[in-house]
Amino acid sequence: MLFLRDRRAGEIVYGGVSWREYLMVSMCSFGALVAALNAGGSRLSMERAGGWARQLRVTPMPAWSYVAVKTTASMVVVLPVVALVEPVAGTFGGVQLELPTWLGLTVLLWMTALPFAALGVLVGFAVNTEAVFPVVTGLMFVLGYFGGLFTPVSRMPGALQVAAHLLPNFHHLSLGLAVLDGRALGPSHWLVLAGYTVALAVAIAWKHRVEEARGVA
Amino acid sequence: MGQALRGADELANSVDAGASPPRPTVVAGQASQLALRFQGVTHCYGRHRALDHLDLAVRRGQTLALLGPNGAGKSTTISVLLGLVSPLEGTVEVLGRSPRQAVASGRVGAMLQTGTGSGLPPGVRVGDVVRLVRRLYRRPAALEVIVERSGIETLLQRRTTQLSGGQAQRVRFALAIAGDPEVVFLDEPTAAMDVDARRAFWRMIRSLGDEGRTIVFATHHLAEADQVADRVVVLNHGRVVADGPGATLKAAVACRQVRFVTDIADRPALEGLEGVTDVEIRGTTVTLDSLDADASIRALVRRGVPFRDIEVTGAGLEEAFVELTSGGPRSRDLERTVSSPSAGSRSDGSSAAGSS
Repeated sequence: MLFLRDRRAGEIVYGGVSWREYLMVSMCSFGALVAALNAGGSRLSMERAGGWARQLRVTPMPAWSYVAVKTTASMVVVLPVVALVEPVAGTFGGVQLELPTWLGLTVLLWMTALPFAALGVLVGFAVNTEAVFPVVTGLMFVLGYFGGLFTPVSRMPGALQVAAHLLPNFHHLSLGLAVLDGRALGPSHWLVLAGYTVALAVAIAWKHRVEEARGVA
Repeated sequence: MGQALRGADELANSVDAGASPPRPTVVAGQASQLALRFQGVTHCYGRHRALDHLDLAVRRGQTLALLGPNGAGKSTTISVLLGLVSPLEGTVEVLGRSPRQAVASGRVGAMLQTGTGSGLPPGVRVGDVVRLVRRLYRRPAALEVIVERSGIETLLQRRTTQLSGGQAQRVRFALAIAGDPEVVFLDEPTAAMDVDARRAFWRMIRSLGDEGRTIVFATHHLAEADQVADRVVVLNHGRVVADGPGATLKAAVACRQVRFVTDIADRPALEGLEGVTDVEIRGTTVTLDSLDADASIRALVRRGVPFRDIEVTGAGLEEAFVELTSGGPRSRDLERTVSSPSAGSRSDGSSAAGSS
């Protein structure tokens, strides 16, 4: 927040995007990640630990339905987080977006946060309750940092730059920046995000099957 | 056999336009009476063998109590019947189909053991949870009925995190019956309840059974199992060690207690009396466990033992249970007596004394 007011924030740092704007988008992206991991992961983990997930398994509710509901719930939490970053940045940091841009950015970043929601659900299934909080926090900061949310990737050493391309949130961020920059939304970003969503969905299904065989929810 | 079952169900479920469903044919009739069937089911958790070639068949409308020491396989049996666990070997059928299909069709309700959790979603209002679960079923019971039967009228506005153990259990019972199920499974359902709540609960189970539902419950409260169940199955080490109406089990154990007051208690002499298997002396009260109470009493008289206030009581289910699960030679004899076809057919639970 403070940084946004710094006069250096007007510097162009990424394509045609100023520091201020970069930070705003990266906070959107980070916020989406945090919201998805917490809403999806912690809540799910709590419900499993309390025995609710198992109770649902003896009702007609199909297993995929539970996952779908949790993912949707995550997405619902993500939306306000993404939508509110800009107005806040605008009020306190001097970043101004035109309404259509803001709407477009919000919707884009919200919908492409799906892999984050899936990741949150996977964490909720795979990790037991005590470990959920540290795992989620760790993921947030590792993905955040290496994905370029705190420092632009272009300023990182070469090897890390390559690594960043492997992370979903880098692509999420890139899409957001492309909107501000007026550039085309590169297909590579979509592919990676879609790929992650599919891979996570498969992982969730597999994990669920493993747990079923063991007789735990 | 599986083919016959499917045929019967199809017949029972098919509806000609305007016509009522035809009754199952005689050939498949017997099979369609079965609510649950286990055949040769084996399951292990790591190296612990929880179920060992278990065979069990339960007719529709029966109320069955599963008894057994911890680790006997009661909870595993229920988990397998609910499709929560896939056994390593054997076949399982619930209402003529696989457990998962039975659960998906909404004809099954269950109240599970929850360990330290409450089994409920945290922070949600009780009324909302019940309504949610109701909506998962195609033909749920009426909300008022569910609420009344589980006794949760005063809890509807509370959040699940504000419930005591006994209250949470009542809510879970409400969830178990919310779908108006044909088959109900209850695993240690009264664990956190006080005496009054337990009594009310078992009365409710009795009435559910009277309505024709099939009920299977696992419990440690032997006396209650005895009162409520039509049929008692005792498990030990993953096998059925006894199967029959409670009365049959108790009679088979044939253990009676002869209690009297005496001023001179000569332990060795008492232990030597006919039929006596155990002697307990407390102050002036002597309690003899005997396999033949009449012979023991005659022996008392013959020996001139000065007794007063003599009392003879039959074995409770608890004695029968302890005897059956002790694993000694007597328990094996008992197993044979209680599980043999003459005592009451094991495979379908119909007893000589009359069907349930």
